Amino acid sequence: MKLLEYEAKRVFSGYGIAVPKGVLIRAPEEVAAHLPELGDGVVLKAQVDVGGRGKAGGVLMADKATAAGTARELFSREIKGVPVGEILVEERLTIEHEYYVSIAIDRSSRQPVVLFADAGGVEIENKALADESAVRKVVVSPLLRDIPPFLMRELLGGAPKELSPVINALYHAFQEKDAMLAEINPLVTTPRGVYAADAKLIVDDNALARQGIAVNRDLSEREREAEKHGFSYVELDGTIGVIGNGAGLTMSTLDLIEYYNGRAANFLDVGGGADQERVMHAVRLVASMPEVAVIVVNLLGGITRCDEVAKGIIAAGVAPTVIVRMAGTNEEEGRRLLAECGYRMLESMDLAVKAAMEVAP
Amino acid sequence: MIYGDRNLGVIVQNITGRQGTFHTELMNAYAREVGGRGVVAGVAPGKGGREVHGVPVYNTVREALREHDATASVVFVPASAACDSVMEAAHAGIDLAVVITEHIPVHDVMKALAYAKLHDCTVIGPNCPGLLSPGECKLGIMPAHLATRGNVGVVSRSGTLTYEVVDELTRAGIGQSTVVGIGGDPVIGQTFVDALARFEDDPQTKAVVVIGEVGGNLEEEGVRSTDLPVVTYIAGVSAPPEKRMGHAGAIIEGGEGDARSKVRRLSALGIPVASRPSEIPGLIREVL
Repeated sequence: MKLLEYEAKRVFSGYGIAVPKGVLIRAPEEVAAHLPELGDGVVLKAQVDVGGRGKAGGVLMADKATAAGTARELFSREIKGVPVGEILVEERLTIEHEYYVSIAIDRSSRQPVVLFADAGGVEIENKALADESAVRKVVVSPLLRDIPPFLMRELLGGAPKELSPVINALYHAFQEKDAMLAEINPLVTTPRGVYAADAKLIVDDNALARQGIAVNRDLSEREREAEKHGFSYVELDGTIGVIGNGAGLTMSTLDLIEYYNGRAANFLDVGGGADQERVMHAVRLVASMPEVAVIVVNLLGGITRCDEVAKGIIAAGVAPTVIVRMAGTNEEEGRRLLAECGYRMLESMDLAVKAAMEVAP
Repeated sequence: MIYGDRNLGVIVQNITGRQGTFHTELMNAYAREVGGRGVVAGVAPGKGGREVHGVPVYNTVREALREHDATASVVFVPASAACDSVMEAAHAGIDLAVVITEHIPVHDVMKALAYAKLHDCTVIGPNCPGLLSPGECKLGIMPAHLATRGNVGVVSRSGTLTYEVVDELTRAGIGQSTVVGIGGDPVIGQTFVDALARFEDDPQTKAVVVIGEVGGNLEEEGVRSTDLPVVTYIAGVSAPPEKRMGHAGAIIEGGEGDARSKVRRLSALGIPVASRPSEIPGLIREVL
């Protein structure tokens, strides 16, 4: 789950990383009371989860006289379609130099990877693509608590040594907060020291519980409802509902719909051991999307009981046509039950998707 | 076959759990069918002395290995303790750990893999269905009846999609040497590179099906690393960006790891890419 800038800054600050003085406001009139502590120049930053926020008009400069008006202006904006509900108002830093530091997970080496660049700011990712030598990177053994000094020297090159405790603190936050990504861009030097001018933190969805995060904000309401039943669920914008078991097979079913020029309405992986109850909930959930005209159920696996699945589909009793492809135990019984209630069970996923296309072309 | 043959002795960690018990019986049914050794012992802390389907249970891996000759472990331990179990197995001298468990925090996985490496323990998974070498051995949860012995290797990030492909191959009369599910998480022990290196050293394997999906770029890395004829399939061409498609590792992040660019890069290397699973047997015939 992605944290917002102000939340990430709160976390980083807990690790001793300096962040600009700032307050979170939810209405334009709140800004005035905080101006004395923030100084003459302030930055107003919309707390929205979108990339390229600055370019999209989500960050505005102001001074004492203009702060209230600027806040009103920013609250009225939508940043890439996302309304602004919260603004972080911060003191304006005197920046000497901008750097970029980011810690992510390197799938290839199976270790954390730390990226550092001598230039920070909004364009760094484009620059890095154009010139790989602009970004230095080191991988760190996950068995180590700190970035060892020799790797830190390699990372920093000629950059000031005073950055190194900040980067090491970021590495601690990355480890202890179960981060998939911890980033400061720009990391800035000022006459008062090193500051995290921006902050990004993505927490591993598999670690939300132990991080004390009760609700995954990245999910829609229906996606959260699905999660309660143990389904993996993603909403799309087509007309053909999809229920599968296993992420790969379900994705493959979606792809097959696209291959035949159809549009899938969703991704739903019911998981292992799909019994009557789970199948019923899955079918009802997918049928609850108004756009869905037909549902393809594609289940495969040694231990899937086809008679249970059939009973679940029948018990759901939904309006959209349900087309079934399944293989497992008690296949014949499942086929018989479905046929009795007028459902079609087909031999392959190709045939099932083609049949669905006839209902919802 | 790769990773092991019918002489492989296997232990199951958390053998007393629902999944562990159920799949121990299926693994041993398969071992009986092919004349293999199968699961010789189980581990469940605090439950030593019991039996599960005739398999003796021990409190620790070390105790189990004192009484039994085993070199592989299948891990059915819940996510919060799974990595501890992998480290226990590696520490006790297990050579191969197959981790079925899903939803393990990725930082735990990185630590456990690094620790296992220090003890020369190969890890498959987590979040994987395990491996099946038809006629030799089965470690994990793959349905054995779909597979048939032959000379095509299958390596995949998926579970059920792998069964689909194995079923297609078997129906087309193409047997498999080993089918291995390497797992759907962002960080996994054996990657495509590792599995393909094993297939390359295996005289039985003449070609390999690589089944990938959105997220990362390890399919390309794997395919580039091998001289074996390879056919690929990438799931998720219709997946939207920044959405996790069931697997923790199946996500297009920061504009990277989408299926279309994977397909494009693999095609540019001259590798056949199937646009749906049913095309795979035909493409395999062409490269064999």
